[in-house]
Amino acid sequence: MAVAAPTARAAALAPPLTARRFRFPLPGALPPPARAAMASFTKAAQQWATFARAWYLLDAKMQPPGKIAAVTAVRLEGRHKPIYHALSDCGDHVVIINTRHIAFSGNKWEQKVYSSHTGYPGGFKQVTATQLHMKDPTAIVKLTIYRMLPKNLQRRTLMQRLHLFPDDVIPEDIQKNLVEELPQPRAVPKRLDEYTPEEIAAFPMVWTPLPELDLNSHG
Amino acid sequence: MVLLGAPRWLRSRLTDRFWRVQEVLKYARHFRGRKNRCYKLAVRSVRRAFVKSTKARKEKKRFLRALWITRIEAASLEHGLKYPAFISNLLKSQVELNRKMIADLAIYEPKTFKSLAALAQRRRQEGFLAALGDGKEPEGIFSRIVHHY
Repeated sequence: MAVAAPTARAAALAPPLTARRFRFPLPGALPPPARAAMASFTKAAQQWATFARAWYLLDAKMQPPGKIAAVTAVRLEGRHKPIYHALSDCGDHVVIINTRHIAFSGNKWEQKVYSSHTGYPGGFKQVTATQLHMKDPTAIVKLTIYRMLPKNLQRRTLMQRLHLFPDDVIPEDIQKNLVEELPQPRAVPKRLDEYTPEEIAAFPMVWTPLPELDLNSHG
Repeated sequence: MVLLGAPRWLRSRLTDRFWRVQEVLKYARHFRGRKNRCYKLAVRSVRRAFVKSTKARKEKKRFLRALWITRIEAASLEHGLKYPAFISNLLKSQVELNRKMIADLAIYEPKTFKSLAALAQRRRQEGFLAALGDGKEPEGIFSRIVHHY
């Protein structure tokens, strides 16, 4: 999709209002969404490429689940396509890996609370993000995405197109479908031990310490 | 009328009831339940349908504009620009295309849209240079305003 994107855009013709069910146009009918109607034979491949459902991969390692969910929800709805329409079911599949290694900022692991109620009296349960993550490593990402999708009947269908995996392991049949890897929303900073000694030595001195305060000198 | 005189007039019966009923039922044929068949129920539903369609004409304009904006946002993000930056810089470059046309261009003329995005990006950079630069650079090309009057 990325390679052919500029040229593979819609050859879809918006069909006229004489649609299948009605024999006359309804008063005040909205223009129909661009659907996969009959384009010319020579443009058939371009049309299929435009309306096909793609599979994207997203690595959630060291990423905040909110940003992951924002990117994913846009892709699931199909809002990243210029041919978007709420009724035309143009969303894509998203596979998220390493959900066990998501990174909340601040103190959210201890302070964020996920609430639920079993329906029975006295069944109000509240768990912290840490407890929920220990119980089910995909639950936090799943709930975040679920709450970011539009609150309509399409939401459950879109959630079925979301595939979450706690680690790197993906089943064969899903791996064969993947088309493109999405860039991570947060740039992961390098830890001090990930820098090579040459890079540390090459880093400019910010201030010159007094000789008696220099920890490297044994004096 | 052929029937002259009151007695002949009073003896006539309603003959085109079928067509008067069909006039209403033809607008109700796709409804759910008995209101697509039974006149008494259909009359009420058809009247409500017409009222709703009249009121919806204003909302249609809002809905379509929001749809165009969503589509333009998607297309401009493909080219690395956000929607507010794209639209504002296009207006500053005196490109007065409305959202409907830009959305149609994004779908059917992708290369044209790409050049529009490039124009908006360049105008944006010129705006930054004018605001943050020292004033030593020459004035931007796309920042020049052309007066047609």
